[in-house]
Amino acid sequence: MKLDDTIDSLRQGKHIPEETVYSLCLKSQELLMNEANVTHVDTPVTICGDIHGQLHDLLTLFDKSGGIEKNRYIFLGDFVDRGFYSLESFLLLLCYKLRYPDRITMIRGNHETRQITKVYGFYDEIVRKYGNSNVWRYCCEVFDYLSLGAIINDRIFCVHGGLSPDVTTINQIRSIDRKQEVPHEGAMCDLLWSDPDDVDTWSLSPRGAGFLFGRNEVEQFLHKNKFELIARAHQLVMEGYKEMFDGGLVTVWSAPNYCYRCGNVAAVLRVEDDLDRNYMIFEAVQAQDGVGNAIIPTKKPQMDYFL
Amino acid sequence: MNTAVQQTDYDALSCKVSAISKHYLPCPRQIEECGFRDYSGIQMEYIRVLRMLSRRAYGKISRAVSSTMPVMNYGTYLRTVSIDLSIEEFMRKHQDEETQILNLGSGSDLRMIQLLARFPKTTYIDLDFQESVKLKAKVLRNSDQFVNFFQLNSSEGEEINTDRYKLLTADLKDVPRVLELLSRIASKKVPTLILTECVLCYIPQAESQQLIDSVAEYFTHGKWVSYDPIGGNKVNDRFGTIMQDNLRESRHLEMPTLMIYNSPESYALRLKNISHNIHIQIMWDYYMNEVSDEEKNRLKALQFLDEIEELEIMLSHYILLEATW
Repeated sequence: MKLDDTIDSLRQGKHIPEETVYSLCLKSQELLMNEANVTHVDTPVTICGDIHGQLHDLLTLFDKSGGIEKNRYIFLGDFVDRGFYSLESFLLLLCYKLRYPDRITMIRGNHETRQITKVYGFYDEIVRKYGNSNVWRYCCEVFDYLSLGAIINDRIFCVHGGLSPDVTTINQIRSIDRKQEVPHEGAMCDLLWSDPDDVDTWSLSPRGAGFLFGRNEVEQFLHKNKFELIARAHQLVMEGYKEMFDGGLVTVWSAPNYCYRCGNVAAVLRVEDDLDRNYMIFEAVQAQDGVGNAIIPTKKPQMDYFL
Repeated sequence: MNTAVQQTDYDALSCKVSAISKHYLPCPRQIEECGFRDYSGIQMEYIRVLRMLSRRAYGKISRAVSSTMPVMNYGTYLRTVSIDLSIEEFMRKHQDEETQILNLGSGSDLRMIQLLARFPKTTYIDLDFQESVKLKAKVLRNSDQFVNFFQLNSSEGEEINTDRYKLLTADLKDVPRVLELLSRIASKKVPTLILTECVLCYIPQAESQQLIDSVAEYFTHGKWVSYDPIGGNKVNDRFGTIMQDNLRESRHLEMPTLMIYNSPESYALRLKNISHNIHIQIMWDYYMNEVSDEEKNRLKALQFLDEIEELEIMLSHYILLEATW
């Protein structure tokens, strides 16, 4: 019952007491602790990309894709940073996970780390909302327990970023000790940071972490593991999703009008029992909700443009 | 409206301070090619004095600096360096001659210090709103370092008017007043570089065109350097309209020509009456083509850059224009 109250408050973007966050994070940790690095998920399921604290758009996502009460979801990470409601977005997903454990899988993104959240907004948001960083620390503890990937019907591999030269089989991911801050290199880092690109072989990433990988790497990985698709997020796609390498890889992006200024649409991918792919496109909510509340806080915590 | 525009100076200043504190600026080219000395020292001295004089302005700036994203640091780096190198090119071309630099809507920009120190035959004119000029003059007059440099002999005065540096009040929308001012302080025959850095975008179309045409016509030989956002003209490109909405809603800031001069081609038309030699570049292209691999690696090591796609979108909506006559 209390969980449902918290869910209601979160959906309205209301303040959640520090003690409540603490107990939510503790319970989530216990739940996530028992999950494997790579979890198995059955169809039908809806795959969702980056959320980045855009709570109101996350609510739209659930509304338009049928809702958690009746559907299964995989979130590919990057719940926090950039948007103004990182905490509420992340906690809402955790609450759903506690309330409906078999309906939602949460994979770790490259933003679910102490180092990145200090630069990209989540840490500042917490200090702004609570006057101290305790809640940020509780959430970071949860980040360390998030899984690294998921496999749908033994055919689709889900991950936040992409492939790693250190990973040719799923067993190599299973043997990672994931309960730690994301390292700056190695398999765990690459899974969260890498990007597909038009390259002949593993190449340096312009992001400063992870690798660029191409058609060859994707085809080898799919073949070796008997997969037909890699579903990943991590990169802004103006059209919401983008298939590459003859449909062997897809990028799904679920933060419409990213950072309230990029003008992109968002998408989620619903995978049916026969592995048919259906993309659902959605737009950002208006700057004001139905009762005139500003979706973007009037006191903007940062500048967005060169002025 | 004037206040909203004037406040953008704090954004520019905080962006610059942030890029300096994270070591994006100064870059090797500014030091080697533009001969910049004590770049961050000069900027920090300004901020130190500003802090003593205006807690409000300082508060705004320090809050903004602490939350600046890597994308913003990249953009500020490119904006600053591209303009500095463009000015440097002009200075080299006229290195033995007298020159003038006219910074329209100068805000807190401190370029004049590096340039006046290096080019003894140069006169530098900063024009801006009264509020901006007042604050800048106050900061400069209250720093021993700046007082010595500009040889200011009084700590009083809302403007600065020395032989080689003039910091004067003008509303750029009032073109007759700008021209009247120029006729008193600027020589028509001396090659002059005119800089508008995020300035034309805030002025309505008619007034901005009149400003460009009149000021450029005043100087026989000149180079106009302008950095501005462009709204974008590609199908499904909503960046410009969203930018207008965001800034109008959050800060009552209007950008009347953003969607009129929405592409490099249309933006370049603003200078067509005065120059047949117009070069205009999108900042993303500038980053891709003009920044060496070595320098890109240096930048990459400063902060994790996430997302590069977002950087491309942002930088594709800003341009640097250079027009000579």
